[in-house]
Amino acid sequence: MTVVLVADDDADIRDLVSFKLEQAGLEVIPVEDGQAALEQARARQPTLAVLDVSMPGLSGIDVCRMLRADPATAGMLIIMLTARVQEQDVEGGFSAGADDYVTKPFSPRELVSRIQALLSRTRA
Amino acid sequence: MRGDGTVRRLLGRAFALLTLLILGAGLAEMVTVLIQQRVVHQLSTHVQPLQIANAHLRGVLADAQRSLRGYLLSGDGQLLDGYHVARSEYALAVVDVQDLATAQERAVVTEQVTNAGQWWELAERQRQAPPRSQAAAEYVAEGKPLFQAFAAANQDLDQSLAARAAALQNRSSRLGWLTVTTVGALTVIATAMAVATARGADRWITAPLGRLVEVLDRQRAGDHAARADPGDGPLEIRAVADAVNVRADEVDRARAADQVVARQRSEVRELGYRIRGHLVVEDAIREAVHGLAGTLGADHVLIRMVSTGVPPAVSLHDEHLAGGPLEDLAACDITWLRSGDVWATDDPAPAGDVRPTEQERRAWRAVGDGPVLTVAVSGGEECIGALTLMRDGGPAWTPVETRLAEVVAADLGRGVHHARLYEHEQHLVVRLQELDTAKTDFMSTVSHELRTPLTSISGYLELMLDAEAGELSDPQRRMLEVISRNTRRLRELIEDMLILSKIESGAFRISKRDAELAGLIDTALTAIEPVAAKASVGLHTEVTGPLSLRADPEQIDRVLINLLSNAVKFTPAEGTVTVRAHPDGDELVLMVADTGIGIPTAEQEALFARFFRASNAIHQAIPGTGLGLAIVRTIIDNHGGTITVDSTERVGTTVTVRLPIG
Repeated sequence: MTVVLVADDDADIRDLVSFKLEQAGLEVIPVEDGQAALEQARARQPTLAVLDVSMPGLSGIDVCRMLRADPATAGMLIIMLTARVQEQDVEGGFSAGADDYVTKPFSPRELVSRIQALLSRTRA
Repeated sequence: MRGDGTVRRLLGRAFALLTLLILGAGLAEMVTVLIQQRVVHQLSTHVQPLQIANAHLRGVLADAQRSLRGYLLSGDGQLLDGYHVARSEYALAVVDVQDLATAQERAVVTEQVTNAGQWWELAERQRQAPPRSQAAAEYVAEGKPLFQAFAAANQDLDQSLAARAAALQNRSSRLGWLTVTTVGALTVIATAMAVATARGADRWITAPLGRLVEVLDRQRAGDHAARADPGDGPLEIRAVADAVNVRADEVDRARAADQVVARQRSEVRELGYRIRGHLVVEDAIREAVHGLAGTLGADHVLIRMVSTGVPPAVSLHDEHLAGGPLEDLAACDITWLRSGDVWATDDPAPAGDVRPTEQERRAWRAVGDGPVLTVAVSGGEECIGALTLMRDGGPAWTPVETRLAEVVAADLGRGVHHARLYEHEQHLVVRLQELDTAKTDFMSTVSHELRTPLTSISGYLELMLDAEAGELSDPQRRMLEVISRNTRRLRELIEDMLILSKIESGAFRISKRDAELAGLIDTALTAIEPVAAKASVGLHTEVTGPLSLRADPEQIDRVLINLLSNAVKFTPAEGTVTVRAHPDGDELVLMVADTGIGIPTAEQEALFARFFRASNAIHQAIPGTGLGLAIVRTIIDNHGGTITVDSTERVGTTVTVRLPIG
């Protein structure tokens, strides 16, 4: 089963995403901050990580950059969740190595379809 | 050079001499005429008549003698008649001679008459003698010497008279020559004198006057150093030269004084610029203090300000205050001064009733007994300070200096006012910048903070509507759809607010580059097409000509999307939305026309205001944030373009945008 790491400090959104992904048949590791995300990513080696940009402590962009820098996690698929529409956030996310990004508020349906698109693209 | 002469003496002497010469010539002429007249008179009335009478007498006697001798020798009675005629004429002739003879000739005349009488006596005897007789012949012989004696006397007289006439004529002639010579000489002398006088006058008067005029001309031409020679020419011209020099000196002094005043004025003007140039109140005051001391020559300068925020007193040098001579004065309050007041010791023209306090007067006296000048420093209508200038001695403050001090005080007042305004403005700018930053931060934070709960709301709504949490009843679904619609509306509102805030704060800088409006229109139409199709609104385009322009394509895209979505949103089913674009001179014209509900005329003015929503849109419950057109308007303004709206209710709306190509 494909494992997906979901990192968001907002429990409601974490639950929402987790619920929707589990419905789609994915195994979800929910974490509530960047540090935990980093630890779980290294420990469990998920196929894909959904990272919220603004989290206390390590931000999603920091985590993304660190995962990319670590050979063990460099190939992980990463989708950023951002509440900001500023271009610099999006650009920052991409320059840190994210594969895609979704702007809040997002549709859970759209998020799942983006994740599935990414997964199928890598499998192919 | 005849240094001691005067014009009067010089000319007086010359003219007196000339007059004497002319008088002398006239007198000589007159004397000569008189003398010649007398000579002529003597000749014509005495000498010549006497000569004629004498000649006549001799002729008469000669006739008598010749007739008698002829009778005696011939006996011709006719000749005797001639004798008788002569005898009767003789008496008259003798009377003539005697009448004309003067004492001088009388002796000769008497002798002559005596001789004649002797002859006549003999002749009477002869006449009675028979003619041609011996006696007659003897008588003739006897009569002959008598006649000769008479003739001799007669000739004597005649010669004497001739000599006298010659002498008289000679004298007259000599006198004539003498007179001509004298008058000629006098004329020559007078002419020489006149020439000499003229030359002298030219040399002694005209030349010095000419030099004086030359000096005046030079002075008039600007040679202020030109001076007349005070030793040149006669006394009167030297006096004029002195007067000219005195006047030139006075003019020089006045000019020097004027130059001082002009320099002070110019320095005060410069000082004013410097004072007003300061943006810090304290610097302006210090500038005034030091500038005044130099320009107006004050030994002590004290500026007291009543307002807070600046030092209460500033003086020329710090040693003047705090233990210095101005300590007491600096402590005196200046409430006795009102805006525009001036007080100076020995003020010749005091204005109004300005009365320094006793305390203030004591403080002046403590400094010294030199002149004091105090001018109010005015900020608008109120007195905000006092400017006091003191000299340790020397001249009183002149009206010019007082006026200049007033000018500096006015500049100081303005300078302080400006500096305060500037400081205030600086505070405001800082405050506004802080506010602006806070606003941007706030908007960003709000946006972020609102998005996160909105994500949960819309996400869970979607789950529920997708029946992920179980099937919904119809009323439940309808209610959730209302919540969903309003959530979407809330999200759009947040987006638009954020965009507007960013555009207005300048966070969205216009990045102008070459853009093609036709392409942007196509993109926007493609984006809006699904919405239009869903609402059964037809989309049309009428795009002509090259539509290149310098613009920010993303912002123009936003303009197109906003205008098109508005048009579609407010157009009922089966209506149309038409996009037209064409170049017009150095502008591109973009029109979005719909056949929608229109905007009530009364509300058209407020169309671009934030959160404005047309009343008919609200009534028909057409969703919207009221920010779309405000965003459009801001973007168009940022591009230097214009936007106008032409709308008729229930007919349609046409929005016209004009964008500059360059």
